[in-house]
Amino acid sequence: MNNALLVATREFGENAKTKGFWIGLFLFPLILLVAVKVPRFLEDKAVPTRDFALVDLSGSFGSVIANGLRRYEVRKKQEAFFRYTQNHADSSKIPGGGEIDFEKLPADMFDPAKALERLEDQNPEVLDLLGTEAGWAATVEQAAQFLKEDRPAFEAPRPRFRRAELPAGLIAESDDADAIAEKLRPYLLGKSLENDAGGKVELFAAIVVPADIEKRVADGMLEELLAANEPRGGIQYWSANLADNDLRDLVQKSVNEDLRQRRFVSVGMDPAEVRRIQNATVPMASLNPKKAAGEEAVSAADVLRQWAPVGFVYLLWVAIFTVAQMLLSNTIEEKSNRIIEVLLSSVTPGELMMGKLLGIAMVGLTMIGAWILSFILVLKSQAGPEAEWAGRLFEVVQSSGLLPLFALYFILGYLTYSGLFLAIGSLCNTLKEAQNFMGPVMVIMMVPLFTMMFIPRDPNGTLATILSWIPLYTPFVMMNRAAADPPAFEFYGTLVLMICTTVVMLWLSGKIFRTGILRTGQPPKLLELLRWLRSS
Amino acid sequence: MSDNALVLERVCKRFGDLKAVEELDLVVPAGSIYGFLGPNGAGKTTTLRMILDIYKPTSGSISVLGHASAMAVRERIGYLPEEKGLYKKMKAWSIIAYFATLKGLSRRDAKNKAFELLERYGLKDFANAKTEALSKGMGQKVQVLASIAHDPELVILDEPFSGLDPVNQQVMEEVIQDMAGRGRTILFSTHVMSHAERICDRVVLIAKGRKLIDGTIAEARRTMPRRIRIETADAIGPLERVAGVTQVLRLGDGEATGAVGERPTTRWELRLAEHGDPQAVLQACFENGINLRTFDQTEPSLHDVFVHVVGDEAREASFR
Repeated sequence: MNNALLVATREFGENAKTKGFWIGLFLFPLILLVAVKVPRFLEDKAVPTRDFALVDLSGSFGSVIANGLRRYEVRKKQEAFFRYTQNHADSSKIPGGGEIDFEKLPADMFDPAKALERLEDQNPEVLDLLGTEAGWAATVEQAAQFLKEDRPAFEAPRPRFRRAELPAGLIAESDDADAIAEKLRPYLLGKSLENDAGGKVELFAAIVVPADIEKRVADGMLEELLAANEPRGGIQYWSANLADNDLRDLVQKSVNEDLRQRRFVSVGMDPAEVRRIQNATVPMASLNPKKAAGEEAVSAADVLRQWAPVGFVYLLWVAIFTVAQMLLSNTIEEKSNRIIEVLLSSVTPGELMMGKLLGIAMVGLTMIGAWILSFILVLKSQAGPEAEWAGRLFEVVQSSGLLPLFALYFILGYLTYSGLFLAIGSLCNTLKEAQNFMGPVMVIMMVPLFTMMFIPRDPNGTLATILSWIPLYTPFVMMNRAAADPPAFEFYGTLVLMICTTVVMLWLSGKIFRTGILRTGQPPKLLELLRWLRSS
Repeated sequence: MSDNALVLERVCKRFGDLKAVEELDLVVPAGSIYGFLGPNGAGKTTTLRMILDIYKPTSGSISVLGHASAMAVRERIGYLPEEKGLYKKMKAWSIIAYFATLKGLSRRDAKNKAFELLERYGLKDFANAKTEALSKGMGQKVQVLASIAHDPELVILDEPFSGLDPVNQQVMEEVIQDMAGRGRTILFSTHVMSHAERICDRVVLIAKGRKLIDGTIAEARRTMPRRIRIETADAIGPLERVAGVTQVLRLGDGEATGAVGERPTTRWELRLAEHGDPQAVLQACFENGINLRTFDQTEPSLHDVFVHVVGDEAREASFR
């Protein structure tokens, strides 16, 4: 046993010294940091302001579109300001400390952006109001009383869309929509426009509203389909960029809305009344029968608990395979270097195997530990809502009992897979040979990753149940299902099966290891392998 | 402790149909340097692995330092395998220290011992180098040191000289003699006979898994018939009748020296019976007026013995 510990210590020491280990250690937090920072950065900085041209021949929709775009910008600005207030809130100034109780927060009240979008649907005039100078000043003043004194100034986001002025005389009075589109085409293909300030502007899109647009309005799906056959039949949205459709959607949405308003008026209905009716909603509560009476409402914490296992499954997967790979390359090094023989004159194959399993497991645990730690540190270093979220997330995870399960499944999964990898390692002389064996193993290994996102939707369904009973998948799938309280029979049944598999796996790989480790030349054929298992 | 460090009795090892070692008996007395000779594929490495309990013998018994398994006394055994390898990323001293700790030394003792050995055998400057930075010869030296760092009673070296330059072969011989000087037992395999001849007390020679010779160097030499080589221009008929001469072989024509009036010579080998006297042959030459250009009665070297005993087999094996 002492020797196994010595082997383990060396394995740990040597692996912890490798570049791969340190890269792995730092790459994860780095990716995490990037994942947190970059999308926000991209949203704030990288999406350029899009310049577009708008030609309205109908005379009625130009202002509607302009209005819709203005509302959109107001909404974006409000959203940014909302985030700003979250980041610089002074909790002592907020009644109740500003703490959000995740156990009480309804599950569907997550996102400020969503809330604002709903506000726009229900009452767009509020946005118009907020968009005025006075409205904005009121917003800022209202928020100021809850904010820290030493906060930085609010930086309004750049506008997403900006209407470009077309050169005077480009479009003649007599031009129809198609003629205008032809005249705009070169600008859409890269020719730059000069704006008022003398700067150059490149057109992202051009919107041409034909004069007879109101006659073309489709009243049903059939007509809409027929209209689609006539590509230039409606409002023409020209753009070489096929990926960013925000502008197109915005235009369509605001025109449709206005159109409907007009129709309501034309049949003698009060638009305000119509909107009120349209927004009538029946309240709906998500309730969970598993929770105690009076607390059945599904809270944000419940949703987190439901999804947190997915993170753990991923972590489990990455950890097990990083570590098992290490074990494989390590065994092959000893074998191809023939160090194995000296080792075997000092330790028994059993001790060697034990030592390796133990040492590499410690490497893996160190790595996971460092990842979890850096995960917490990265999120804590983020002021504002993210840090709050991290704290909550951590509490929720702690209270859910997922951590001990994670440890249990890590150990079982690690031992099973490393048994497999050790056996492969002891049969091969070079990493290249091992890769031939690894191919099929990799395919088998990918399954839990593919099913990871589906299983929480139907955690006790057929797929999940079947996969749970396949020992190679038990750790991942049962981890995945952990939050959904799988039947006790399945939990203990699969656990026992898993433990048995682990024992058998280690026993078998021990046999293969003992015979294979001193072997040179071609990896054995399957029949030969079976013979070893019987004879040794 | 018994007087014998190692006793093998009727040891056999088969791999499937291949008989790697057959009915091998061997007794290595404590404190001796024992050479383990044989051509490639003779079963040397297999035997050594069985001694170390890495392989189990198919039949027969092995006693190492008085124990049935080398594993029971592994702290007292040092082993250098035939194919040398080291952890590439480890430093020279730490690899020696690691193997020493596996053999039961404390960490501190192991480290001290590693530096001491590296200094004694001229590798002081490389103590902190990673082994991948060492030359093959240096790496091999490190490995040898790793196998003896715990000062084992029994040292088993598989081909310790292969891959070393002549100077380092000399160092290797010194390492072995140093250990023997401290009363350690050394069993080493080689197919370079000159090393065995210089440092071994006893040798055992096996081929195709069977033991052919086992004894002191002198005994090994005696297994070859005594012989005299002569070169002469005269007919040697009378020599065949000298008492003790068992056989006369014609080896070939002698080389011409270009001297005036030179007659072409022939080289002959005369085999003698065990107690045959070379002097009698010399005397017969004088008496019969046989004019000798050379007369060579040097004893056969171990190399000659080796070639004589396993020559044909080894050649056959090498073309298999």
